[in-house]
Amino acid sequence: MLRYISNRLIGLIIVLIGVTVLTFIFSNISTVDPAEAFARRNILNPTPMQIEELREEMGLNLPVYRQYFHWMGESMKGNLGISLLTKNPVSADIAKKMPATLSIVGMAFFWIVVITLPISILSAVKQNGVFDHVARVITIFGISMPNFWLGFIMLIAFAVVVPIFNVVDYGNFKSIILPSLTLAIPVISSSIRLFRATILLNMNKDFVTYAKARGISKTNIIWKHILKNSLPPMITLMCQNLGYMIAGSAIVESVFSWPGIGSHLVEAIVGRDLPTINGCVLVIAVIFVLSNLFADVVNIMLNPKILNEQGEF
Amino acid sequence: MVKEILKNKQAVIGLIMMFIVAFIAVFAPFIAVNNPEEISPAQKFARFSGRYPLGADQLGRCIFSRLIYGARYSLGIAIPVLLILAVISTFLGTVSAYIGGRFDRIFSIFCDIFMAFPPLLVVLSLVGALGQGILNIMIAVIFSMWVWFARVIRSYVLMEKKKGYVTASKIVGCSDIQIITRHIIPNILPAFIVYFSTGVAGIILMISGFSFLGLGIEAGVPEWGAMLSSAKPYLYSRPLLLIYPGIFILFTAAGFNLFGEALRDIISPEGG
Repeated sequence: MLRYISNRLIGLIIVLIGVTVLTFIFSNISTVDPAEAFARRNILNPTPMQIEELREEMGLNLPVYRQYFHWMGESMKGNLGISLLTKNPVSADIAKKMPATLSIVGMAFFWIVVITLPISILSAVKQNGVFDHVARVITIFGISMPNFWLGFIMLIAFAVVVPIFNVVDYGNFKSIILPSLTLAIPVISSSIRLFRATILLNMNKDFVTYAKARGISKTNIIWKHILKNSLPPMITLMCQNLGYMIAGSAIVESVFSWPGIGSHLVEAIVGRDLPTINGCVLVIAVIFVLSNLFADVVNIMLNPKILNEQGEF
Repeated sequence: MVKEILKNKQAVIGLIMMFIVAFIAVFAPFIAVNNPEEISPAQKFARFSGRYPLGADQLGRCIFSRLIYGARYSLGIAIPVLLILAVISTFLGTVSAYIGGRFDRIFSIFCDIFMAFPPLLVVLSLVGALGQGILNIMIAVIFSMWVWFARVIRSYVLMEKKKGYVTASKIVGCSDIQIITRHIIPNILPAFIVYFSTGVAGIILMISGFSFLGLGIEAGVPEWGAMLSSAKPYLYSRPLLLIYPGIFILFTAAGFNLFGEALRDIISPEGG
């Protein structure tokens, strides 16, 4: 157990270092000169002298590897630089925008768990029944649907035709429902397909035959044996979905004019605000890595036997 | 294999849908009734008519013709991206798994790092750095997706490598390149096709999502995602403007998904 955790932690540190290097590379392949961009935004008609001064001030005249270590050191202290657009510290902007995104992602997560589990269990138990077929058709549409379109359909249906919700709304519980559903439906569709397949796969395993031979009732086999063994891949998937949804919120937030991290990132891209882009990318990637780690830890706590199978990680 | 596909209803439906979209894309100039980019302010929001089968949009452009030309952008971007992805990831995945040892371990760590970014995030940050344009979107999508494809191929090759026929061909004296190209790759080809045909659907959705965000594709281009985005202000007055492009995206993506999933059932019936 200890060996596994220490290996996992070393792996995590390597990945996190890699993430910072990659984020840094992404921002450096840009053809935009950040010093010039900053100067043009803040000084009317900057002279080449002023641009050079700024370059030195921002540390951009140093060799690339020293820039990296400087950026990395500052990031560790929580200083992600100053946004070119808002002139606020990037970390402050992110902290301000994050709760809005987390609220729809959290709500979407709730929908995913509440809807995926019962539907996939029902479809798997009554494989090829009417319910299973209907669920298959609906989910295939769910994974083929662009989620921004889904968002508009919901707005047209529930805010224009039947005005239950407001088209632009923010700050109350009701306003979270449509964006979170929009974010959740494609994920629910793919999760149902995967979970159903996992359950079916486990139904043919030896331990099920053995349990049947021992005379255990069908309900008991499903709940105690099959589901318990089908959960680990689901937990991993759910935690990955968290990261996907935070990144994917960019599109949904644009549909619902939601003031979250996703629309903040898109604004930064359109405005070529490199410090903000870097900061957002780094924060989202770190959340993604940590949620993967969280999934592993939960899986091990639920079923320590997994360690024996994966012990050599 | 072909027989089995034709016997499977779902696969046939998927294939027909794929062919319809491909047909529309290839013969767009003959199907469209108007120039998709021609602006005629007098015809703003024109109703259904012989000249404008689905009416005209906010600039008086023919909606029907724009939708038809949209197929060209959707497939024209997704398919080259997929082909390049297939080549890169097959090469890297196969080589890494076949060589094995330390090389494979370093490659895996490298993959882990890339996989720490949700693909959408990589595209967003690359478009942020490279700037807009269709070519940059394509580069960004390839950059964000290759690792997921390479990972899958690597695991297939690892499984195949352990099988008897690889050892047998080694004993007979086949070179490594011969083993990879003549034996391993043909054996994992069906699994490839499944993975890539569902991959196309994902790429189509991703690209339409970016043009919806206004990233990558210039305004005015008849791309489905971009059309949706420019129709956003008319949510109340002309909701149909928003509905049409989505139906086309859904139809295209569903075709590839239906076909890919049916193919998966044919190749590996267990596991649903």
